[in-house]
Amino acid sequence: MALIEVNNLSKTYKKGDNVIYALRNINFDIQEGEYVSIVGKSGSGKSTLLNLLGGMDTSATGGVYYNGKNLLEMTEKELSYHRKFTVGMIFQSFNLIPTRTAIDNVKLPLIFSNYPVRLRETRACELLYNMGLYNRALHYPSELSGGEAQRVAIARALANKPKVILADEPTGNLDTATSGEIISLLQMFNKKHNITVIMVTHDKETANRVSDKTVLLSDGEIIKTTVNQKK
Amino acid sequence: MKISDIILLAFNNLKRNTLRTVLTMLGVAVGIGTLSSMVSLGRGVSQNISSQMSRNDLFTGLTISSRDFGFDSSPQSSRLLTTERQVVPLTDSTIYDLEQKDEVAVVFPELIKPAVIVFKGRSVNANIKAVPVKMGGFYPFDNIKLGEFYSSESEPCVVLSKNVLNRMGIYTDKISSESPSSVLMPADSIIGADIEIITKIFDIEKIDLITSSKKQLPLKNDTTILRVKGIVETNSFSAGIFSDGIFLPTKTCEYIPCIDLQNVYDIINGNAGKYGKYNSLHVRVKEHSMLRKVKNEAEADGFQVFSIGDKLDDFERVFFMLDSILAAVGIIALVLSVFGIVNTLLMAIYERRKEIGIMKSLGATSSQVKLIFYFEAAMIGFAGGLIGVLCGKIASAASSRLQIPNSKILLTVISNILRILGKLYCCPFCFRLLSALRLRYIRRVKPPKSTL
Repeated sequence: MALIEVNNLSKTYKKGDNVIYALRNINFDIQEGEYVSIVGKSGSGKSTLLNLLGGMDTSATGGVYYNGKNLLEMTEKELSYHRKFTVGMIFQSFNLIPTRTAIDNVKLPLIFSNYPVRLRETRACELLYNMGLYNRALHYPSELSGGEAQRVAIARALANKPKVILADEPTGNLDTATSGEIISLLQMFNKKHNITVIMVTHDKETANRVSDKTVLLSDGEIIKTTVNQKK
Repeated sequence: MKISDIILLAFNNLKRNTLRTVLTMLGVAVGIGTLSSMVSLGRGVSQNISSQMSRNDLFTGLTISSRDFGFDSSPQSSRLLTTERQVVPLTDSTIYDLEQKDEVAVVFPELIKPAVIVFKGRSVNANIKAVPVKMGGFYPFDNIKLGEFYSSESEPCVVLSKNVLNRMGIYTDKISSESPSSVLMPADSIIGADIEIITKIFDIEKIDLITSSKKQLPLKNDTTILRVKGIVETNSFSAGIFSDGIFLPTKTCEYIPCIDLQNVYDIINGNAGKYGKYNSLHVRVKEHSMLRKVKNEAEADGFQVFSIGDKLDDFERVFFMLDSILAAVGIIALVLSVFGIVNTLLMAIYERRKEIGIMKSLGATSSQVKLIFYFEAAMIGFAGGLIGVLCGKIASAASSRLQIPNSKILLTVISNILRILGKLYCCPFCFRLLSALRLRYIRRVKPPKSTL
């Protein structure tokens, strides 16, 4: 059984009298431990799809099944649990809270998940150490480089040991070298810890190089799904 | 998510915007401070006046008489009432019956005689009033600072009211009159000194039945010399009988001869002896709540009763109105500060939309996010409220001690200073914002086509 199944997923916006399809009849599935890239141009519906997979948005038709349970029919409490323990999200603009230090940003999901208070510091330090940012723990996001900020964001996404990482153009704001580092990190977590990675990108080449499966989106529709054998 | 975590997050959020937090807190403090100071000012004023009035026997004292008090507007109707109703005379047995009541603290006849007082070569017209020894336990005689109250009903002494001394131009502490004849006299030289009380009595020898047109009244002076035993301070709230005059032990006062004009009118109207030994009695009940019962019983016995305590409800209504007006001013200030908090929180929510999104993506539920904001508001409200209550207490204490005309003025000044500071703080920000918007607008506007 697939870890994630997307069945006839459609999402529409209304603009005046016109109905605009952000997503139209999306169908695909993702196995546990897979590295999946969703590729498409701007406005093709990649981020909308990712938000639906992460339980951030539920106003759609069809189904997004995680272990057989439809996210679109979950209660707020169940969705909150899903976002806390099942998925970890990484964004293009890092989305770190600027008034909290790196370690405090990593501790934030631990607060929401009722992680024992005395172990929060240890867990956050461990994650930052694994990211090579132990010495930057007490720095504010404005004092970090793009790569460092994204690594803090990854550490934060991994805080509650999720099964899935949803990355929304994680390298969009980074230079080539740093992008490579971030992609390598995601690959490492995917291989070593069997974490499923779903990455949204418009870089088709990178997607084909690193992922097991590439889903090509255009105007809200899947136009091609490629299984990459040479990973 | 634990409550301690929510409090910590809320506290950190407030800490990072210290200036805004402090200003909002001050807004709440001014609102709460105004409300509490207004309410305490109103209550203080009403309690002060009420306690002064009740201390001065206004709400616990009543006057009982056989005669009508003549409050009726028409003199004819008054006369009719007097003649129609059955008159119950005031006698010693009436005093005894009243003394037996559990509610009554003191009863004594209101014996007031007009006299000329001569003291240290100065004279003044004043009433001499019989006050029993028992009154030594009640205001204003329980607090005589100069000299003492008498201890026997027939002691040949008087207790002077300070007002009478002042009317004679004699002052014991400092001269507050501009009259050149005023003198400062130490209390020691007054206490124990002799005082002459000159009253008018009939002079039989002057009554000339043959030449009745002679324009000289058949009266002569009678002088009684007594000793000053104490000086009592009375005030404007003192009940009529205790407001001013010279107070004598009952028997001593009775011994002083004086024509009684009331008795003369009784003789003229053919009512001599009809009203009993006394014109009126002063009754002091133990508590205000007992006043009505004693009054009703006396009225049922056929007496005429007057009491200002009946008017307490009217006083309380006036005080309630005063309290309400002051509270309304405070509530308006409080509502304004609530708008301030709401505005601050809405701004905070608007500014932190991204942060709310991040928190939700990390697993926070909507209720958890709301709780963080509620705690922020509660913290500001609690701290501001605490400061406000303290400021209100300080302002009302200061206004009563330092004679500040009104603590409202003080708080209005503070709130205006804060408003000006707020504007000064906000203006540079607004200017930067407007400049940024203008730049953006300028970039969007296409350059005009060349006319060349």
